[in-house]
Amino acid sequence: MLATIPSATLLGVEGHPVAVEVHVSNGLPGFTIVGLPDAACRESRDRVRAALLSSGLAWPMRRVTVNLAPSGMRKGGAGLDLPIAVGLLVAIGELSAEAVAGCAFLGELGLDGSLRRVPGVVPLVDALRTRSVAVPLECSAEAGLVGRHAVRGASALRELVDCLKGDAPWPPAPEAGPAPRDAASPDLADVRGQPVGRTAIEVCAAGGHHCLLSGPPGAGKTMLARRLPGLLPTLTRDEALAATRVHSAAGVPLPGGWLVTRPPFRAPHHGASAVSLIGGGTAAMRPGEISLAHSGVLFLDEMGEFPRHVLDALRQPLEEGVVRVSRARASVIFPARFLLVGATNPCPCGAGGPRNSCRCSEAARSRYARRLSGPLLDRFDLRVLVSRPEVGELMGGTGGEPSSVVAERVASARARARSRGVACNAALPAGRLDDVAPLTTAASRLLEHKLRAGQLGARGLHRVRRVARTLADLAEAGHTVGEEHVCLALDLRAEPLVGEMVA
Amino acid sequence: MSGERPPLEGFAAALAGLPAMGPSRIAALLDTWPADDAWARVVEGRAMRHERVESTCGPRPARIASEWRRAARATDVAEHWSRYAAHGVGVRVLGHHGYPVALADDNDPPRVLFHRGDLDALHGTRASIVGTRRCTRYGHDISFEFGRDLARAGVRVVSGLALGIDGAAHRGALEATDDGGAPPIGVVGSGLDVIYPKAHARLWDEVARAGVLLSEAPLGAAPEPWRFPARNRIIAALGSVVVVVESHPRGGSRHTVDEAAARGRRVLAVPGSVRSAASAFTNELLAEGCHPARDSTDVLVALGLSTAVAGAAVAGGADGAGRADRRRAPDAMGSSVLDALGWDAASLEELAARTAQPPARLSVVLNHLERDGWVEVRGGWWERITEVAG
Repeated sequence: MLATIPSATLLGVEGHPVAVEVHVSNGLPGFTIVGLPDAACRESRDRVRAALLSSGLAWPMRRVTVNLAPSGMRKGGAGLDLPIAVGLLVAIGELSAEAVAGCAFLGELGLDGSLRRVPGVVPLVDALRTRSVAVPLECSAEAGLVGRHAVRGASALRELVDCLKGDAPWPPAPEAGPAPRDAASPDLADVRGQPVGRTAIEVCAAGGHHCLLSGPPGAGKTMLARRLPGLLPTLTRDEALAATRVHSAAGVPLPGGWLVTRPPFRAPHHGASAVSLIGGGTAAMRPGEISLAHSGVLFLDEMGEFPRHVLDALRQPLEEGVVRVSRARASVIFPARFLLVGATNPCPCGAGGPRNSCRCSEAARSRYARRLSGPLLDRFDLRVLVSRPEVGELMGGTGGEPSSVVAERVASARARARSRGVACNAALPAGRLDDVAPLTTAASRLLEHKLRAGQLGARGLHRVRRVARTLADLAEAGHTVGEEHVCLALDLRAEPLVGEMVA
Repeated sequence: MSGERPPLEGFAAALAGLPAMGPSRIAALLDTWPADDAWARVVEGRAMRHERVESTCGPRPARIASEWRRAARATDVAEHWSRYAAHGVGVRVLGHHGYPVALADDNDPPRVLFHRGDLDALHGTRASIVGTRRCTRYGHDISFEFGRDLARAGVRVVSGLALGIDGAAHRGALEATDDGGAPPIGVVGSGLDVIYPKAHARLWDEVARAGVLLSEAPLGAAPEPWRFPARNRIIAALGSVVVVVESHPRGGSRHTVDEAAARGRRVLAVPGSVRSAASAFTNELLAEGCHPARDSTDVLVALGLSTAVAGAAVAGGADGAGRADRRRAPDAMGSSVLDALGWDAASLEELAARTAQPPARLSVVLNHLERDGWVEVRGGWWERITEVAG
């Protein structure tokens, strides 16, 4: 009369094990679900009943109570449909307890008895401690990524019951789609001219420096940014799993149903709300865009059009690499270590700058400038003016180096950074700069001049030295950082001239 | 009213401080009655009975009359007057003792004039320097040089203390006053206690100390947009010539030029690059036959103070005064980069394209040039500068 089926529910990017207890007793016919189910979960009552009936299975005219343990934790989503149905079948004796022993269930039921995919299969399966797990056939490849369970897939409830009884063989798991090819990201060879923009992107990839591209419309800011993931190294197994868990939890389709192996590229529109960027929108605490960009690139096009409070919400995750989202019902931590690339026009009309063909009013310009707060601008190690390429470069001219060549340099620069004990140069602590990035005399004289002239502050100095370290690594210039690297690092960190005027 | 009866200027200042009071309404009031009389009529609500006053008050004069009346009843003229003394702001009324001659003959002089500093600064030859707030480095430097050189030549520089060209002209003039140059004259649109733009607070004080600050607006008046065309007319009226350094086609300088033309003042325009939007209006003026101002000599000639031939500066090298350049001469590479840069701002990307140099190499050259004072960088834009830029 009682059955307990293991399953899991999703909170943030973590799965939490849930024991689905089904009790069938004499009494007035009824069906209750207890244990803090959310609306979608409570509705599984009706789905389970219809699915059982249309699969030609028995529905008990007795009192059915389902408890979702631990009962103090909220459960969301429709993924508990299948364990409830299976538990019911065991409780009324339709299935034997041995048939389901050691197997966990996940999946949503259709009214016709079909099994549907649920978001977050990877973290859900990861939370399960059973030997095997039964999931809808279409997400069995995803479930297999965890690698600890025997994964069984079925496309309908009836089929699943037959397989569990041993009346039919388990259907073969569908082939995982081809692993995504590296060529998914466009090639840097398409970019004509723009030596400075290219350098900025390369340094951004090699040193993990956040980058702000500023320039008039059509200067190729987006074009450059989209080529950045192609320069980044392929994710390690751990990074790939972490990225896959986030994608899975957010319900974003995985590339070919497979691991996320290439650095993700997320480019939310500037209409995005703070919650959609940071995460925590739904009861299940869906991860936001910055977590989807974890170990990849977050590209904010038209950065000046984002509401200021949305941009300022990025400051803490930029600093810590994780984001803590707290709501009344739960508090979760999402991974959020991403490379931020912003693109902005110098003013609303796009033509701003000292050459002054700008048509914006003073008020419009200063409003635009205020969108990007000082502390946020300060996070950008690279702030680069991108100009429209000249006609000669666009029409004739040779394409630049292809991504593959640049990516090799990036990989070796990153290897040097790892030999210093950090993931990339942007993470070098200020105290170690003298050890790992000693300056030549000319270079330190130049920096001293800038400091005296008030063109550089203490924090800016550290940032410039980190970028110079990356430039020297890319040029394979050895242990000391020379004047040419410091000069270029300074020039790649132009003070922002957004809406500012010459006075 | 308490204490001693305030002077006529006190009533004029109180009138100027009423709500919805602009230059034409106060002109109508003060042209019709003496200030104390006008005040009494406003308090009694009888001012609007005069046709001239009513004609300036638009479709609903009764409403304005009651607004004035309410505000006037709440105002203690003597107490109001003491505020002017406390702020060190003097008040002059047209047709009365102490009103500056320079403005008295104008066809539309301010009926009430507020000043900080010494009004004697107005005695002498005056030239107005005007232009856009959004100027280029070139415009800024030229404006600074004109201000300095004219002040050195004994010409009083009149300008509006705004950002950009105005401020640069006054900074130039102030540099000259240290060694005996003519005092600067600032004409502002807001009340003399409402500093606008805030960034120029120090400049206001320095101009008031070295010369004089003028305004038609009473204490506490905000820099409302309508006050600026009125201010421009005073700038046009004060200068024997008006020099437009840089201006956008729709800039406020157009208004100043129109006011100057209406007064028969000579207008000079500084030529600029035909590609520069900030020079669009000055180049338009030149095309219409306006005299060019290539350097301060051109202005002095227009003022009848000099017969020298202008343009010697261009032949004499980059330095406007024709003196030897004290900067360390750039090397061959530096010179070629300077040539590629020209006198327009350019980004590193553009310079890399022009010189076909890798960014790293170019960057070193530019930073050396900057150290030696040949170029300046702002927000990623490189610009060539003259030795003497302020």
